[in-house]
Amino acid sequence: MLVRFEYPRTMNSMLDDLLAMDVRPTRSLFPAVDITEDEHAFQVLAELPGVKKEDVKVAFENGVLTLSGERKPYQIPDDARILMNEMRTRGFERSFEFGFDVQSDKISAEMSNGLLRISIPKAEQAKARTISVK
Amino acid sequence: MKKNVALIRRTPGAIVKRNEIAEALVTPVADIYETVDAFVVRLDMPGTSNEKIKLSIDSDRLSIRAAVGTLHKEGTGFLLGEIGQKAYHREFNLGDGIDLDRVDAVYSDGVLTITLGKTDAMKSREIRVN
Repeated sequence: MLVRFEYPRTMNSMLDDLLAMDVRPTRSLFPAVDITEDEHAFQVLAELPGVKKEDVKVAFENGVLTLSGERKPYQIPDDARILMNEMRTRGFERSFEFGFDVQSDKISAEMSNGLLRISIPKAEQAKARTISVK
Repeated sequence: MKKNVALIRRTPGAIVKRNEIAEALVTPVADIYETVDAFVVRLDMPGTSNEKIKLSIDSDRLSIRAAVGTLHKEGTGFLLGEIGQKAYHREFNLGDGIDLDRVDAVYSDGVLTITLGKTDAMKSREIRVN
């Protein structure tokens, strides 16, 4: 049986490990994304409540789809008193690598009701085909 | 900074059919602020629509419910599923001073904005010092 050899742990090595850990608070992924596919295309759906169409950027490069942008604060009257604040204004960026042949020049995107829908058509040769047996 | 890229690929377990996903009840994130003549409640509710939002209000409770329904075509395969199938529900207790005849709601960009007008008695209770 093989057992990995480890040096006895010292205060210093433990401190090093502690410093190496990422201690930033975990955040939920923003935006939340669904990716689905049918015969002809991949569909990417992202939840972007309160984000204007002009504040969203969609890019596709070397098989990687990147959604980025910013949720900006909304206007409230100067004399308003904030009673509860759970919404976060923030910049965002998420990237997804598609290991499939797609028609990158035919990608389309639209926004409605706080949802961004991106359609990525599959390349002809990547579509599933049934071959008839003669 | 190294860009965090998620690799999207098919794995046998990742292909889920729509009818296998259970609907979850989600509490939408909210902001509330008060102006001279109203309270304004804003809720993040992406994916629903005017027809699917049900608001009810009485003297001491505001209740918001909204279905999201099917976001994908029946039978599509999932490669990534973070949104889920869900419905929204949130309730707020109301204090005195809301004029139930002056309640207005607008749904735009996936955000529901509810304006609760104050009664005249409530408005006049505020004394502004200039």
